[in-house]
Amino acid sequence: MHRTGENRMNATPVEESLREAAAGAIADGTVGVVIGYGHEAGSDVATPLFARTPEQARGLVFDATCVGNLAIYLPKPEVRALGRTGLVVKGCDLRAVNVLLREHVIEREDVFLIGVRCAGVCEPPLHKCTVCPVHDPSGCDVTLGDSVEQPTADASRANALVAEMEAKSIEERWEFWKRQMTKCVRCYACRQVCPLCYCKRCIVEKTTPQWVETSPHLRGNLAWNVVRAFHLTGRCVGCGECERVCPVDIPLGLLNQKMAGLMEQWFDFQSGLAPDEQAPFTTWDPNDPEEGIL
Amino acid sequence: MNDVSETKLYRLEADWLDAALGALERDGVEVLAPVKDEDGSVNLAPVTASSEVATDYLNALIPLKSVFMPRTEVLIEYERAGVGDVEVLPGAAPAGQRVVLGCRPCDARALVMLDSVFNWDYEDVPYRARRDSTTVVSWACMDPGPHCFCTSVGGSPHSAEGSDAVVYLAGSGPALLQVVTAKGAAFVESLGDRAQPAADGTALPEPPELETKFDTGEIKTWLDENFESELWEEVSLRCLGCGACSFLCPTCHCFDIVDESTWKHGERRRNWDSCAFCQFTQHASGHNPRPNQTTRCRQRVMHKFKYFPDRFEQVACVGCGRCAQNCGVGQNLVSILSRIQSEEKP
Ligand code: SF4
Ligand code: SF4
Ligand code: SF4
Repeated sequence: MHRTGENRMNATPVEESLREAAAGAIADGTVGVVIGYGHEAGSDVATPLFARTPEQARGLVFDATCVGNLAIYLPKPEVRALGRTGLVVKGCDLRAVNVLLREHVIEREDVFLIGVRCAGVCEPPLHKCTVCPVHDPSGCDVTLGDSVEQPTADASRANALVAEMEAKSIEERWEFWKRQMTKCVRCYACRQVCPLCYCKRCIVEKTTPQWVETSPHLRGNLAWNVVRAFHLTGRCVGCGECERVCPVDIPLGLLNQKMAGLMEQWFDFQSGLAPDEQAPFTTWDPNDPEEGIL
Repeated sequence: MNDVSETKLYRLEADWLDAALGALERDGVEVLAPVKDEDGSVNLAPVTASSEVATDYLNALIPLKSVFMPRTEVLIEYERAGVGDVEVLPGAAPAGQRVVLGCRPCDARALVMLDSVFNWDYEDVPYRARRDSTTVVSWACMDPGPHCFCTSVGGSPHSAEGSDAVVYLAGSGPALLQVVTAKGAAFVESLGDRAQPAADGTALPEPPELETKFDTGEIKTWLDENFESELWEEVSLRCLGCGACSFLCPTCHCFDIVDESTWKHGERRRNWDSCAFCQFTQHASGHNPRPNQTTRCRQRVMHKFKYFPDRFEQVACVGCGRCAQNCGVGQNLVSILSRIQSEEKP
């Protein structure tokens, strides 16, 4: 009993090579499953496709609807039970994989990375795509697709949304966030979709004592969203998944972009650009000039 | 709720909405109607002027259940005066008289299911009080959306179940109103001369057609036999385990109870909960009878299409399509159910 992904007519050249690479890796036992994108009726964005046979890999697609970050599935025990994971990644998704590697949630040999060069997703392109530093994912086991020109980084464009918010008065900002945070229903879709929210037990689930109030009132919602933003500071890779899945459309990306901007300004650090990077908050170095709290 | 013995139809003048809002405000009745917020979502919210009301919307983002079962509510409050000296106060009194004006028929139909649960082995006092003090006037759907499947679960774009009255809007012109219950009749009275009995022979418009996607009877037959099936593992692989589908579902009604307190003062709150959460069935011992997403995904389908019908002879789904529309990974109840049906009928 299995579902074969819809074999869409007119596969593009990159889709042909993707299907071939995935089918090959499954057929020769390199991986037990390839997680990529498929199309399904009733969904505007491409849906995760778990291909466990070469035939199922025929359903893989790659186009502007492939928004999701599939790195979310790498740490899950039920996925690991399927054997070594093949994962289709765009550049931004690979940044999340890099953080999982650097934090030793997974090891490099656990995963077979099928990188796809990406010019941007969605129409009009997402903000992250207009400032993307990683159109060409590097360090994958195979990399597919035509090369994409990499524009030079433009920090002011990357920070444009945050700058717009910071131009407002503190009262206006408070009104804005109060309204946004009041909407939160505490569905935790933001956490569950985040490839870096892999804690086995999230702090909101710790009940003795209950550190963060679980009630969806303003106080509890603020506490929740601030805790999450803090725990992702220096780790968040800006994939934008949390904001995309939030059912009540809270602009969570703004919080992450603010924190990412500070990390760049203070530590000259962007998270997830390489698996062996030295992350400011999670690296212990005996030569650290700061005495810290000890 | 006494059902009005025969369906009564009224013709509403083009300015009926203004008349209704004016009359209800004078009587101190709060009106909740669909309102588009600054971010573009439509939700039921208090209104005082017809210009605030969104008439051409598909469905509210947050379902009607939130009016009767808010996402968070205070059940009791307590004050600690000294050691062993605690005063317990009742929670916030349920709202006064309210009219919901313009929910969708699927959401109103969901109230029939919630009523079954909240008046079952225990009568839920706050829920009951809010139901009693609220009149539900739905707007019949003329233009269902791509995710709608009400006709597959026993409903219709024009269903009157759960509504006190149903309004058939025709642009901003005169409308038709169908009275369903005594509360609906009282609502018509508040419209004064803006509502007149419809001419003899006036017929309700035909509901728009919707493709039937599956048969709940055949699905139930399969579910009765397939608590253990590979299908559950397969459909749950992609599930994120968040609560978006259950929180946006008009019939999902599970809740959690928490105490939130400072040194002297505390509140006992009831909050929405979801069977998709890993802690939903976690025991204090550490044992979890639903230890993985497979068992949790199965529960959601079983509860709606097997356990609920076993107990209340109705499925706990009204076909609003919110779960499919709002799932971050495109999990789709309709496709799962269609597949189950194809298993049943090889
Ligand atoms: S951020 Fe870059 S890699 Fe990611 S979707 Fe946009 S363009 Fe593609
Ligand atoms: S996804 Fe949105 S509504 Fe859900 S918990 Fe996160 S911020 Fe709140
Ligand atoms: S916090 Fe949001 S943007 Fe950052 S890595 Fe997690 S899902 Fe992606």
